Amino acid sequence: MGGQPLYLEPRLESRLRSLADSPELLHRLTDALGSPLNMVVPDQLADNLQQFRSVYGSHHLSGQVFFAHKANRSSALLRRLAATDAGVDVASLGELQHALGAGFTPDRITATGPKNPEFLWLAARTSVTVSLDTRGELDQLATLVRKHALPRTRVLLRLSGFEASGVRVLSRRSRFGTAVGESTALLETVERHGDVVDLVGVAYHMDTTSLTEKATALEGCLRVLEECRSRGLRPRAVDIGGGFGVNYLADGGQWERYTTELTEAVLGIRPPLTYGGHGYGLRNESGTLRGALGLYPAHRPIAGARYLDELLAHPAASLGGRPLAALLLDHLYDLHIEPGRALLDQCGLTLTKVLEVRDQETDGPLAVRLAAKADDVALEDHGVLMDPVVVPRDGADADRAEPVAVHLFGSRCLESDLITRRTVFLPRRPVPGDLLAFANTAGYCMDFHATRAQHQPAARKAAVWQEGDRWRWCLDDQYWPTTPVGGAQ
Amino acid sequence: MRYDSITEAIGNTPLVRIDPAVHGLSHIDLYAKLELLNPFGSVKDRAAWNMARPRLAAAPERGGQVVELSSGNTAKALAVLAGMHGRTFKSVTNRMRIPEIKDLLLLLGAEIEELPGQSECLDPTATDDPLTQFHRTLSEPGSTYLHTDQYFNPRNTEAHFTGTGPEIVKDLDGRSPDWFIACVGTAGSSTGVARALREHDPAVRVVGLVAAKSDFIPGIRTIDEAHEVGLFDPGTYDTIESVSADEAIEGMLTLNRRCGILAGPTGGAAFFGALRQLRAADEELTERQSAVFIVCDRVESYLSYVRQRRPDLFGRPRRGNSPADLSDAEIRTAPALGVADAQAWITTGEPLVVDLRSPYAYAALHIDGSVNIVDELFEELLHGGLPFSRTRPVLLACPVGEKSARYAALLTRMGHPGVRSLTGGIIAWRDAGAPLVRD
Ligand SMILES: Cc1ncc(COP(=O)(O)O)c(C=O)c1O
Repeated sequence: MGGQPLYLEPRLESRLRSLADSPELLHRLTDALGSPLNMVVPDQLADNLQQFRSVYGSHHLSGQVFFAHKANRSSALLRRLAATDAGVDVASLGELQHALGAGFTPDRITATGPKNPEFLWLAARTSVTVSLDTRGELDQLATLVRKHALPRTRVLLRLSGFEASGVRVLSRRSRFGTAVGESTALLETVERHGDVVDLVGVAYHMDTTSLTEKATALEGCLRVLEECRSRGLRPRAVDIGGGFGVNYLADGGQWERYTTELTEAVLGIRPPLTYGGHGYGLRNESGTLRGALGLYPAHRPIAGARYLDELLAHPAASLGGRPLAALLLDHLYDLHIEPGRALLDQCGLTLTKVLEVRDQETDGPLAVRLAAKADDVALEDHGVLMDPVVVPRDGADADRAEPVAVHLFGSRCLESDLITRRTVFLPRRPVPGDLLAFANTAGYCMDFHATRAQHQPAARKAAVWQEGDRWRWCLDDQYWPTTPVGGAQ
Repeated sequence: MRYDSITEAIGNTPLVRIDPAVHGLSHIDLYAKLELLNPFGSVKDRAAWNMARPRLAAAPERGGQVVELSSGNTAKALAVLAGMHGRTFKSVTNRMRIPEIKDLLLLLGAEIEELPGQSECLDPTATDDPLTQFHRTLSEPGSTYLHTDQYFNPRNTEAHFTGTGPEIVKDLDGRSPDWFIACVGTAGSSTGVARALREHDPAVRVVGLVAAKSDFIPGIRTIDEAHEVGLFDPGTYDTIESVSADEAIEGMLTLNRRCGILAGPTGGAAFFGALRQLRAADEELTERQSAVFIVCDRVESYLSYVRQRRPDLFGRPRRGNSPADLSDAEIRTAPALGVADAQAWITTGEPLVVDLRSPYAYAALHIDGSVNIVDELFEELLHGGLPFSRTRPVLLACPVGEKSARYAALLTRMGHPGVRSLTGGIIAWRDAGAPLVRD
């Protein structure tokens, strides 16, 4: 195998750790419901919400935390959230219907994203706040409200293209939102439709891990809100979208060691670490490393609620250097956020059954075939590198365990069906019947990708919760906030 | 010394011996090559001038902007050199994390383009990273950019092979040092100097220093990032070691405070890395040896970097009349008024209403007739004593009534008899429907 095993152990907080330590339950469920199986943990979502709430509290800010529904279509998660004080951000007609059906009242729903007439109509009909991307969308909404005699609609204006003063930030172009440079025309349109829309505030969602870019955008929003006020409009809120990130790995040192060795493998200094010498975006041009590492920064100590905290503490360079939170508070604005991935941190697990374990070359990685397709786990599609947890079928003898290197293949009849292109190190050799559990993926990754190709079923979803020291479960769709205490009622 | 142009002042920097009482080595003479004394402030002046000179001189009528991927010192030197030759300069970077340097570059007339952060919703198949796009623009036919390309340009290394290295040999009376220690950024200075020293004495041991992976030291790279540099060849160095940001700052403080060398963090990293390496060697030695490390640039540009990591270094002594001295009980029992009572008091008692929020927020909406003293300023004022007469009642207002309660408690303790805090702050005022104006 060569050298030390390069583990990338997943971060498991107490709930997921307890689940992973319940082999009997996990095997019983996969025996009954099949592999792959997605397990979601609704109570964790409520805890994650509390973490965001406590950041609001420490900065004295009010405003709403809207779960970005696009991140997961689980009913159990949505219904659990409906039982808290959180909101939900919906990006399609189906998601809006789902949210209303899960118990979210319209004052707790924001409609974002590209909208078709039905979506706009139902949003306006039910008095959901609408986040508008363009002037055209605003016109369309106003026409709809007048024509169908709908109630006055609360709107947010989504902005993009913020510029830091003095320094031009080359931004990834966004398809969404109106450039701040054109906000005047947008505000004139709001005034023109003043009979049918109420301006709640402005919004942005930036797809970046960079705090400074988001701080620049927030400062830009404060400036536009000031323009709103000078026009006599009465905005109350800034919605700063999501993108607060997740820390996937337990150990920063493992991540650093792994990425260094990956670089060296690409440069040919050490044996390959991937199937077919794939470089995850890096390549070797006569001894110099070129390209960009296309990987999610899997170890991120500042993610989720901590990321929000840092953003709020960031000084607003163009507005006197006061922290952004202090400025929001000074201006009496509510802060809205739309975390998706970050709210789903530790909210799920994907279970896959080992079908076959095959030796390939001597000392080379083992070929492990799983009862799952690559898109059921979808780690590769998100650039997340993280080891699965081995859940042995029979209480394995941990003391005799020897680390092994493996390649994880899916069960689809395609050369490309690799669960992950990298050589994965496991603390023990799996055997057919064992489960490999992928932490977090059931929370965020899979719903974007899972298909029914080749007549293979997409994973089922089960919701799980703890009662005392026991885990209980039901099918995702059977879960309601009354369910966890259902047995007792 | 009389020069016709500032560019003639580039190079010929002093080699200064570090006092053995500071470094504690008994058999090794340790010298600092003071590149911070170059006219634009750093070791990069040499490379920048050597790379840009032939092309700035050629075809001045063709215009063309000088561009470089640089987060600091190279950009600084190139901005000056471009300006002297009637050109503009643009820096493209994703590493410019030092606000003072950014401001200085803008002051010098540079244009800065920052590369965006990594996408949160990563698409691993995307090929158009901004850096690739940048290179594509540069290589478009008809482009007039003058790209100095410091990470790949052999004239970067050459500046040190013909300048820095031979100067060290000359100042050591024609001998190479036994040790040479340098930080790796573009690898130009370490590679060029190492080559020159080895021509004199192949036995010189070369130590390359990189930043620890989880750390950021402005100007130098981590080992992974070094592999992205065309001039970097691991074979140049006998050993490559990493230095943490804390160690770099420790080294920097010693150079600053005990040696009178106003080095920045990379100079500190080189000093720290040198000592760590040499201490072990020193114990085995019987005859004398010498070692040289490079001090790349100056401390002044890194104050905010240091403040962020070592706030203790900037701790001022505690001053009187500070809200930090108050007990929880004092704050809890600070005199306060709810919105309705405050409104009544404003009409009957005519208190001075002080709004502690930021001027921008105050300008947007405030209580009619109030004055704005932003909280930081207010705190400063109080260090000097009561800023208004005891006979004038005062109503303090902040967003939620928390800060104003602190200051009401403090003013009360300072002997003001008629101060009140607005309970719930301006937010409660607004929510109660009380009037706010912008005038
Ligand atoms: C408008 C909007 N809000 C929120 C999110 C969620 O971001 P994240 O899942 O990274 O928190 C997205 C994701 O694409 C989005 O487009």
